[in-house]
Amino acid sequence: MPDFSPDDNKLALKVVFYGPALSGKTTNLMQLHSLLNPERKGELMVLETRDDRTLFFDMLPIGLRGSSGLDLRLKLYTVPGQVQHDSTRKAVLSRADGVVFVADSQPSQQDNNATAFGNLEENLEKVGLDIDTLPMVVQFNKRDIPGVVPEEELQTRWAGTPWSPLVMAAALKGDGVIETFRILLDRLYTVIDDEFRLATDHDISRQQFVERLSRNNPEASGA
Amino acid sequence: MRNFEDDPTLNDLLSNDQLDRLNRCLSDLCAKPIALGASRPGADAVPVEFNLETVGWLSGGEHEQERQAAADMVGFLMMFVAKYRLAANLHHDATEAGYAELQRQNEALKASEARYRALSDQLQQQVDEQVSVIKQTQQELYESARLRSVGQLAAGVAHEINNPIGFISSNLRVAREYVKDLAEVLPETPANQDLMADFNDLLAESIDGAKRIASIVSDLKTFSSIDQADYTRCNINSLLTSAIHLVQTEYSHGLEIVERLENVPEVSGHPSKLSQTFFNLLDNAAQAIRDAEPDKGPGRILVKTLIQQGDIHIVIQDNGSGIPEDQRPKVFDAFFTSRPIGSGTGLGLTVALDTARAHGGRLQLDSREGTGTRVLMTLPIN
Repeated sequence: MPDFSPDDNKLALKVVFYGPALSGKTTNLMQLHSLLNPERKGELMVLETRDDRTLFFDMLPIGLRGSSGLDLRLKLYTVPGQVQHDSTRKAVLSRADGVVFVADSQPSQQDNNATAFGNLEENLEKVGLDIDTLPMVVQFNKRDIPGVVPEEELQTRWAGTPWSPLVMAAALKGDGVIETFRILLDRLYTVIDDEFRLATDHDISRQQFVERLSRNNPEASGA
Repeated sequence: MRNFEDDPTLNDLLSNDQLDRLNRCLSDLCAKPIALGASRPGADAVPVEFNLETVGWLSGGEHEQERQAAADMVGFLMMFVAKYRLAANLHHDATEAGYAELQRQNEALKASEARYRALSDQLQQQVDEQVSVIKQTQQELYESARLRSVGQLAAGVAHEINNPIGFISSNLRVAREYVKDLAEVLPETPANQDLMADFNDLLAESIDGAKRIASIVSDLKTFSSIDQADYTRCNINSLLTSAIHLVQTEYSHGLEIVERLENVPEVSGHPSKLSQTFFNLLDNAAQAIRDAEPDKGPGRILVKTLIQQGDIHIVIQDNGSGIPEDQRPKVFDAFFTSRPIGSGTGLGLTVALDTARAHGGRLQLDSREGTGTRVLMTLPIN
């Protein structure tokens, strides 16, 4: 849930990158850190890893200021994907405003995707969130690896869900990362605008919201 | 409660001692002393930012550039402090949540265990109830089968004996008349007179014996209630008398049974069950006398009926062996018997108690080992 402090005119939102182990959640965040040039961007905090695997979480704060003086912050978190870190996942997921589900496109990982998605549903329920109303994007990562499940098959499989169409990505190359993020921002805006009237009270339109938080970093355009 | 992700303040990140030390280090590095604090001390102070958040203000130094360099360095340091802080807070949150979850599960487990325990108790209770119902039914079945067979036997015997004993009695009486006639025509010799006297005695004894047979048959009929419906008006005294006769017959008329039967009104009841009960109680008394120490003196059974407080009291008391104290609580249990296997069913007192209760009455047993036993049965007058 959004954290609004009227005293500071500060609105803090939380987006969580969820998914099975080694699906590329941290890579997504690292790419966003280097590819994006939002109005405000903090340091990417990679908390602790072991063998390249997240133990706690990663966090990237970005933000913008509305003409009304609204200090809008967006904190992007990743969760540890490994099964045994479930209580950490739950703690990070609590009070989330949006979720990016990063799935692995490799055929061998489809069971893990399903398990992780089930775990997401379960944990959302435990922290009091509703998967049907929570802004969410499903990304199938690692499209650059040969032999992945064909996009058509994945799209068909997910066609009946609220998260269709899926976003295809190759996070290591930076493909699809910003696109995923923009779709999420768009869905997030719908919910946040309802409650905080970003357009009327703070003069932040949907287009501005998405654009100002996901501007391309000109220095990284070659990446 | 603060969440692990809440933006940390300067105080969250550094203790006062650590802040003092940092200020000293920075002051040593810079040309002029540096001061880092949570609030803005003056217009020339520069903000120290961390995660888009101003965590403190840095003042002092020789010039703006120095202040800015120090602020950048502090921000850099803060990142590592904050990382640790965040990880620790998250770990704390996750552990708390995990513990709370465990406790919830534990509570749920306890509740479920209690539910199953209650269920199991209930089941046990139901099983116990069923077992007692089965026992009761079994016993009633056994008893009614026994009663029926005894009744059938008695009815058969009574029927078979009634006719011959009828003509035997009447023939004997006619024979006595003939003997009288014969005596008149016989010559009056002493030998003939002796013969006639003896003949008369024989016939008189036979008539008496036939009478007793007829009376036993009649008692048997009462006992088995061949002629009676299930519930009818019962004369307690006559039922008792019949039972006494039967017991006497069984013990070859060697018992001393004292009857003190008051006039009591008839009650509605099941005559064969009451008879069976009286017979059982009397039989117990007779056995107790037989089992008593030989030097105890002559055995005696006292049978009393009287009216007290609107109830009929039936007392059957003996001065026999009595019941040992350790057996007394068990005497009403079905199939409990102190007698050798085969000689008793262990149902006598059980049936007696059930019969008393079925008639709305009570059965009370007082006994002292070596002294005797007194059974009091009360039946309401209805």
